[in-house]
Amino acid sequence: MDYILSLVVFFPIVAGSFAFLVDAKSVRVFGIAVAIIEFFLSIVLWLGFDYGIDGMQMVEHFSLISQFGMSYYLAVDGISLFLVILSTFMTMVALFALSIEKDIKNLIIAVLFLETTMVGVFLSLDIILFYLFWEASLVPMLYIIGAWGSERRIYAAIKFFLYTFAGSVLMLVGILYMGHLYYETTGIWSFAITDWYQMVLPFNLQLWLFGAFFLAFAIKVPMFPFHTWLPYAHGQAPTIGSVLLAAVMLKMGTYGFVRFSLPLFPDASIYFMIPIAIIATVMVIYAAMVAYAQEDMKQVIAYSSISHMGVIILGTFAMNTEGISGSIFMMISHGIVSGALFMLVGVIYERRHTKMMREFGGLASVMPSFATIYAIMLMGSVGLPLTIGFIGEFLSLMGFYRIDWIITMIAGTGIILGAVYMLSLYKRSFFGPLVNDENKKLKDLNFKEYSALIPLVFLVILLGIYPKPVLDPISSSVKNMIRIMDKKVINKESKEILYKANSIGGGR
Amino acid sequence: MEKYLYITLFAPLVGSLIAAFFAAKPKELYTGILTSALVGISFLSSIVLLNYVDADTILHVKMMDWISVGNLSIPFGFVVDQVSIIMMVTVTFVSTIVHIYSIGYMEHDKSFNRFFSYLSAFVFSMLILVMSDNFIGLFIGWEGVGLCSWMLIGFWYHKQSASWAANEAFIMNRIADLGMLMGLFLIYWEIGSFQYDIVFANILNLNINTVTWIGSFLFIGAMGKSAQFPFHTWLADAMEGPTPVSALIHAATMVTAGVYLIIRASDIYFLIPDVGYVIASLGAFVAVFAASMALVNRDLKRIIAYSTLSQLGYMFVAAGLGAYWIALFHLMTHAFFKSLLFLGAGNVMHAMNDELDIKKMGGLYQSMRATAILMTIASIALAGIYPFAGFFSKDKILEVAFNHEAYLLWFALFIGAGMTAFYSFRLVMMVFFGEQVHKRLGFHPHEARPFVIYALTPLALLSIVAGFLEYSFHAFVIDLLRDYKFTLDHSVGWMLIVATTAIALSGIAFAVYKYKRGGFGAGVESLGIYKLLVNQYYIPQFYNNAILKPFAAISTFFWKQIDLKIVDATVDLIGKMFYNAGGKTRQIQSGNLSSMLRWMVAGIAVMLVLAIILRPMV
Repeated sequence: MDYILSLVVFFPIVAGSFAFLVDAKSVRVFGIAVAIIEFFLSIVLWLGFDYGIDGMQMVEHFSLISQFGMSYYLAVDGISLFLVILSTFMTMVALFALSIEKDIKNLIIAVLFLETTMVGVFLSLDIILFYLFWEASLVPMLYIIGAWGSERRIYAAIKFFLYTFAGSVLMLVGILYMGHLYYETTGIWSFAITDWYQMVLPFNLQLWLFGAFFLAFAIKVPMFPFHTWLPYAHGQAPTIGSVLLAAVMLKMGTYGFVRFSLPLFPDASIYFMIPIAIIATVMVIYAAMVAYAQEDMKQVIAYSSISHMGVIILGTFAMNTEGISGSIFMMISHGIVSGALFMLVGVIYERRHTKMMREFGGLASVMPSFATIYAIMLMGSVGLPLTIGFIGEFLSLMGFYRIDWIITMIAGTGIILGAVYMLSLYKRSFFGPLVNDENKKLKDLNFKEYSALIPLVFLVILLGIYPKPVLDPISSSVKNMIRIMDKKVINKESKEILYKANSIGGGR
Repeated sequence: MEKYLYITLFAPLVGSLIAAFFAAKPKELYTGILTSALVGISFLSSIVLLNYVDADTILHVKMMDWISVGNLSIPFGFVVDQVSIIMMVTVTFVSTIVHIYSIGYMEHDKSFNRFFSYLSAFVFSMLILVMSDNFIGLFIGWEGVGLCSWMLIGFWYHKQSASWAANEAFIMNRIADLGMLMGLFLIYWEIGSFQYDIVFANILNLNINTVTWIGSFLFIGAMGKSAQFPFHTWLADAMEGPTPVSALIHAATMVTAGVYLIIRASDIYFLIPDVGYVIASLGAFVAVFAASMALVNRDLKRIIAYSTLSQLGYMFVAAGLGAYWIALFHLMTHAFFKSLLFLGAGNVMHAMNDELDIKKMGGLYQSMRATAILMTIASIALAGIYPFAGFFSKDKILEVAFNHEAYLLWFALFIGAGMTAFYSFRLVMMVFFGEQVHKRLGFHPHEARPFVIYALTPLALLSIVAGFLEYSFHAFVIDLLRDYKFTLDHSVGWMLIVATTAIALSGIAFAVYKYKRGGFGAGVESLGIYKLLVNQYYIPQFYNNAILKPFAAISTFFWKQIDLKIVDATVDLIGKMFYNAGGKTRQIQSGNLSSMLRWMVAGIAVMLVLAIILRPMV
């Protein structure tokens, strides 16, 4: 158990390297086996997780370049734990559903490499290490989109890579500056986030550094108006790429806000709270409306991701336990639900080689199981109570209500617009008469698809009814983080806002 | 006793899940029987609970924690008290009958099993809604019934109109739900809990403005579920669903959830009589507004749907003016006679091969006597004639309005009562009496199967006698709800009763007289008022042109013009700028020595200049 974190991070890449030696025919089984083992490793991590500790635990720390304070520093807390499990779980499920035959060996290796980088991002507490994983995650995704995508895959892949890469460069400058600042104040170099948490920064500096990190996270999320790489990436990516992109990679951005922006620059975060909330609100409504206008089923879900990420941002910037815990829970729920929806689109795409909704209609009568699972995921997506989608959305919106009820109400229209585009998608594709002859002989789900989708359905309902095991550690770690913020804030007004956000009563 | 609570709650769920297992399979009769039996068990155990609850004993259980984070803790908790038990008994009773009825009604439907799965799921959600001990639990049920309503309206999904109506209902409800959520958020941040007992105990400590906001927000939610203006259009369109669904969900139970919310939160609304008055005014408006549309409609089910809308308006008047127990009483009696009316209409539809136009019927009394009698009973009850159930509950609401000195509201309700009597008997006359138009059109109506008719008799019985339960009902529920004090003089009360009965009777008489003679001539149809009413005041058209179309247009504009042409084009422009700059500057590297030397000289010159300008100031 001592090195479980390193094991979880590096097992996929090491095992993946051995895949070069495996015969192409059996590599799929090999990949699935690795993903299952990796998932069980992450479950072992969860079992070993001590619910009583709200800070970092299972710390692994070795100095790498001690002159510059760079170290190999991994640890887990309630915030990152479930993002790690989400990554391993979604990778596993996506591999279950994998149906690509072409160059499957390379694909599986790329996916396993990607898994290491995703898990690494969530577990690294040394920022240089974090940055390495953050950037390295682009490479396998670039390859997955570029090699297995549809016609405009090269354009989409390069756009994805350059856009997100450009955003991260500024973050690197911010990181180096922070390191330097730490050196100036304490006399030693350190890039450990826990050390940085102790450092109180002057307000002006906070604003600049917040900005430097903001762009990287905003592009990754993606926040309006930096979102246009996403529809292309999803539109061109193969199913497995879309699943991992939506389920996990977008969460790196929101995770960055929670892990870095808020506790490192609390005054700046509070200062920018309202502007960011307004962007988030715009995102929610704008993306939902654009989603409604789409003709391509996959694009609807791509834009719906942007809309939901807006709610997550709103919850994160609510600055209270309810909102931030809700936003983290929603990262997980959105990961599961959007991943499942992309898989479902993959199912129909594989049968019909089109994603255009006008080609469908009446699918419910030929593919009843498919329609049922789609409906469950749809309800999860619109946030129906007792599905996983409700809890995060509810808590995020409720959290921000304490800050500003008007913004919350406007952003809350997302729950209406979400129903509008999802139900209209469902109506156009599944309801109505079955007119298109090509749809009349469609086969319902096969074993491979069931094996990927049933676990997801199970989770959507189970965590909707009993979210406690996930929500408890998230909540206590978030409380701990808010304590850190509270200790660090320097402006009197920010202190008051933080206090008000976390207390009950007091009238409007 | 907890055992009975869980049986009541979960028996329908078990039925639903078992039936769901066979959803895609061909008809299995036993799924219908099993789900009916389980809902029946749920009804019986709620009767046990009804006997258990009294002034000193209520049942309150906490099943498990659901969400707990920060200061927030939401359990799955259930309470059986005087209000929820009334709802439970009403819901399970009507549900049982509707289930049994549906075995006959859905006999030939290929999705028989799926239907029962949805129907039982609805009962479960509705029970969650009424039994929950906190606002979020109520919200779970609230959304759950919305989901079931969506599935059941769109049950025949191959019909475009049905799936459209299903989406409309869901989305309209969602709009109102946002209002409700806002109210819930406000409750939480002011009080720190969603538990009814804690909220109601602390509501007095809040500033009255805040309470007003809470009350208004919650009422927006109630307006959606109970289809009050301006959210009313979905209810009439919801008639696309199978008729048992209309009877259960869109008449007897789900649509009354809004009224239930107001009654449940009466401790909040008691503090804000102004909001209550607004609620009552809206209710009175809807009572007349919906009744007026029922006057001219030719669609059998839509007429009854508008009538439901109108009766919901009556309930809101009572609830808004503080007569919570009367609202609840009318809710209960209405559930009996309105579901009876709908189920009777279902028999007629079956007899007429799903024809809904009442102009094509006429004289059906000959071939379906039992149904005709049942529907007439329901109509008399609806019209509010002594001694039928509607008389007791509806008259009380008019008295409340008068007692409140809200004469305008009273007058609206009074007119509404006349209209109700008229349209109910217009329907009865046009369907069952008069000329046998259907024969001419080649229909061969037949009566429904005997067990279907027998299943309806309990409803008919209650439509007749439920009114006499008034005193015991009153005594039972005022242990929990505030009593309503009548200050009216006894003689005034009698006069009101006489007046209301008179207008109802004259409405009936007029309808009978007129339609015995073949009804109004075609001339009526060219009147402006007729066109206005038959087009539902042009509100659906207005929604379509002012909201749906612009929404679609703006969405497309956002996508095609803004997202692709501005946001994305900017990104690509930046990308292209670098690319082109690279392309242009590449020419420098021509390999031509003399030009490269020239560039070198230029570069050195620039650097020298920079070195001079940027030199450290000494």
